[in-house]
Amino acid sequence: MNLNKRKAKFIGTALQNKTLILVFVAAVVPTTIIALCLYYLIFNMLAWQLGIPEAIAYNLVPVARKVNLIILIALPVTLFVIWFMALELSHRIAGPLYRLEKEINERIEGKKSGPIQLREKDELKALADKINKLIIK
Amino acid sequence: MFEKKWFSLLILITLIFAAGNPSVLAAQSPKKFPFKEKDALDEWQEKVFRGRVLYSVKAHEDDSYLVAYSDNTASGIFYQIRFDPKQLPMISWKWKVLEFPKKGKPGVGKGGWIEQDDYAARLYVIFPKLSFNLTKSLEYVWDKSLPVGTIKESPYSKNIKIIVIESGSRNINKWVQEKRNIYEDYVSAFGRKPGKVGAIAIMTDTDNTSSTAEAHYDELKVRYKDESE
Repeated sequence: MNLNKRKAKFIGTALQNKTLILVFVAAVVPTTIIALCLYYLIFNMLAWQLGIPEAIAYNLVPVARKVNLIILIALPVTLFVIWFMALELSHRIAGPLYRLEKEINERIEGKKSGPIQLREKDELKALADKINKLIIK
Repeated sequence: MFEKKWFSLLILITLIFAAGNPSVLAAQSPKKFPFKEKDALDEWQEKVFRGRVLYSVKAHEDDSYLVAYSDNTASGIFYQIRFDPKQLPMISWKWKVLEFPKKGKPGVGKGGWIEQDDYAARLYVIFPKLSFNLTKSLEYVWDKSLPVGTIKESPYSKNIKIIVIESGSRNINKWVQEKRNIYEDYVSAFGRKPGKVGAIAIMTDTDNTSSTAEAHYDELKVRYKDESE
């Protein structure tokens, strides 16, 4: 059995889709809310602290523009990293389940025999071990 | 039961908000700044832009006023006050210029836009928005050369409009009374209706002209309706 790393991270099962979206949203939404609150609070409090409109325009607006530019550049990279991590996590959960189901089906149909083997980093190895014990009995 | 719980929560939030904003509960009476006591500036905040302007109250038996003396500096005094200029649009004060900043001719040497942006006396009305970069300001100024009625954009931001309401040195060393309708001035300057006023400020500055200026301010009154209208 080839236990090498899976080539495709996205296997397209409903479970992976749900996990992927859930993890992505769970990471992006709170991060965005916290970032927006911090951005709003910091800049608005600084603006009130400066008070004089010319001081705000001269000192704070250029800083805000630079921060906006950095956010504009960093945002797609951050979103890609979060998406990649969500994909990896969803793959580690959905991949073994997909494999377990496939291996059990093959054993039910008599195409294969013996214990089920999962990949080294896969989750649900404990469940696979228990199924293997059931198969041996 | 569910509706009652949410209604109670709404009442609680409203009360907390009102407690944090005394202006919500208090009737909005005119706010006067007579500058009669030595500690009259305690309720104002100092905001330094480039060096400190000397603000002090000169309290005599017969007369008292705010003195602002700037020597190559720019700082203002700032007072947070929230009201609707549509309901209470008037602001009035009197001021006296003793010395104007020495400006170059526009476009010559130190005659650029920012280099010209010093005024012997100016009074701000600030209209804060949800985000600081949308905040708009009106500046009533007394300039030595710009004609009365000039409305121009500040060289610092399009959100700051300068309105020249006194001009020249004809009235130097004399008290001049001013009365403005904030709502109408905002509409004239920005071409739209204003939101709530969030603060007023006073500044005499000379940082761009590297010169000196002195002005006096007194009898500032804000947040009222003109009864004569």
